[in-house]
Amino acid sequence: MSNNKFVFPKLKYKQAGILNFIEYKHKRFKFVYIIMMVFLVLALFFAIFPLFYLLIQSFKSPEEINSNVFKFWPEVINLGKIIDVWQVSGLGVYFFNTITVVIGAILSSIVFNGLLAYGVSIVKPRGSRFVYGLILGSYMIPTVLSIIPLFAMIVNLKLINSFIPLWFAFGANAFYFINFKNYFDKIPTELVESMRIDGCGDFQIFFKLILPISKPIIGTIAILATSAAWGDFLLPKLVLMDDSMFTLMVKLFSINATMGTVAGYTPDMLLMALLLSIIPQILIFLVFQKQITGGSLEGGVKE
Amino acid sequence: MNKPLVKTHDYILKRNSQIKRNISGWAVMSPGIMLFAFFVWIPLLSALIMSFTKTVGFQIEGFVWLDNFKEIFADLDFQRAFQNTFSYLAWSLLIGFVIPIVIGLLLSETIHFKGLFRIGIYMPSAIAGLTIAILFSFLFDPSSTGFLNNVLKWLGFAPLSWLEDPDLVIPLIVVTMTWRGAGATALIYLSAFQQINTNYYEAARIDGANAWQRITNITLPSIIPTLSVLFVLQVISVMQVFFEPFVMTNGGGADRSSLSLLLLAYQYAFRDGRADLSSATTLILFLIILALSLIYFTLVGALKKRGYKV
Repeated sequence: MSNNKFVFPKLKYKQAGILNFIEYKHKRFKFVYIIMMVFLVLALFFAIFPLFYLLIQSFKSPEEINSNVFKFWPEVINLGKIIDVWQVSGLGVYFFNTITVVIGAILSSIVFNGLLAYGVSIVKPRGSRFVYGLILGSYMIPTVLSIIPLFAMIVNLKLINSFIPLWFAFGANAFYFINFKNYFDKIPTELVESMRIDGCGDFQIFFKLILPISKPIIGTIAILATSAAWGDFLLPKLVLMDDSMFTLMVKLFSINATMGTVAGYTPDMLLMALLLSIIPQILIFLVFQKQITGGSLEGGVKE
Repeated sequence: MNKPLVKTHDYILKRNSQIKRNISGWAVMSPGIMLFAFFVWIPLLSALIMSFTKTVGFQIEGFVWLDNFKEIFADLDFQRAFQNTFSYLAWSLLIGFVIPIVIGLLLSETIHFKGLFRIGIYMPSAIAGLTIAILFSFLFDPSSTGFLNNVLKWLGFAPLSWLEDPDLVIPLIVVTMTWRGAGATALIYLSAFQQINTNYYEAARIDGANAWQRITNITLPSIIPTLSVLFVLQVISVMQVFFEPFVMTNGGGADRSSLSLLLLAYQYAFRDGRADLSSATTLILFLIILALSLIYFTLVGALKKRGYKV
């Protein structure tokens, strides 16, 4: 490294952090910087490699996967296989069901948690603080712990094998509620009072005034609900009985659990179906990564 | 003192509008309250009651008080699941706690390819846990033609049986969980590192503190609040490990080597039809989580009293 000056010239301008341009004048620290970059490249490799492996593996034929000779790359990359697997496993239905569940979950997350947060944050009727306390109190209790009585209630209401409980479950989310409430707390009360003087009721105020000025938080909640509903597994697994009602996650689980017993499902088909179900999730993430990582930041650091 | 004996017109108007407002407010809140009641509050209460009753097909038959607990404590599966759950916790803290801190620190200290590293390292967290569990059960292929066994062969090691090895299965499931969670957690640490005032580093530099002294005296103390919150969140979430062993080891493995408490609760309810035992198991799990949280909060409270920034 005789040309040390030209390694990472940007470091000359690095101001913040533990190490800055003062240290990076020295060769020793440039070496430290290189080691840090190597570790990050390794972390990136470990983060991406399993997905890359899935991509490679899903294009292999069943014979290749089961063969005694290990080869990393598939013999041929046949894009037609995507269509074959799609048709044989009837993935279209499960995608459609998943999208139906996701859309209902988004609407329900926004309308019900939003209305409740509007009541607690802006209207503040007598006793609303008690409701707020109840929600905060149940926030720390994992809801999976009560999945069995919930399932029994759904059975009693004959809502089994229907999307309705899956949609409405998203309307009772303490985390979304708290996010809405924190946002609504900052809305000036004059805006609301002026609409009230014009004779608007609370529902009207919510839908005509509050929702239109809350686009950032609605966007964040919609994205969080999308990925949560897309990957939701336990409740759909319990509630959905018929194969024709399955969401992608339930279907993937059932293919995985019955693989080798049901004729027609081979490992490579499951892998291809897995790949096809992951691609939309990655696309949503890449498009909305600002909101998604921002949401996780707020969610984690809150005390 | 000319206090009016009759309530003024204004007062009545104001009171009426207040009543109207209360009614309207409760009307707005009622759909949400109903959903919270149905999906959260009533089930939690029922689960609590069910733990002390005998059930037949999810319906409560009568109180048996502590019989359910006696029954599960005597069950070898429960004992195994109890131990395993703490084994998950220990492995998760060992494998999964430090990695995100290091990645977060590296991300905050480097200025090249920032976007690429952040998006790439976060990517696994954007994928549903179930799909990752299925993917990793393929990655940990125990056959001699499996990918990882070939990597081992290439490195000169003997092949492993991966998830079928009772000593390896829990660490491997923890690796899967860490792979999914580390990126998101690293970004939280990244934001904590970036909130540290640069002036502190400047001052330390002028005082002649070297890089290591800056890390131990400024960087780490500054992130302790984030660190302690993420620690307790990780403990709470790993105690509830469920679908990874459910999917990756076909319900906890034949020898129960990866059975967790929540998975056992699921099996009591849906394999054995014993909702009572299942509720008792989730209550135990809840009490463990509650106890751990209480220890954490008392500890943090005690430290705060002594002036530590926690």
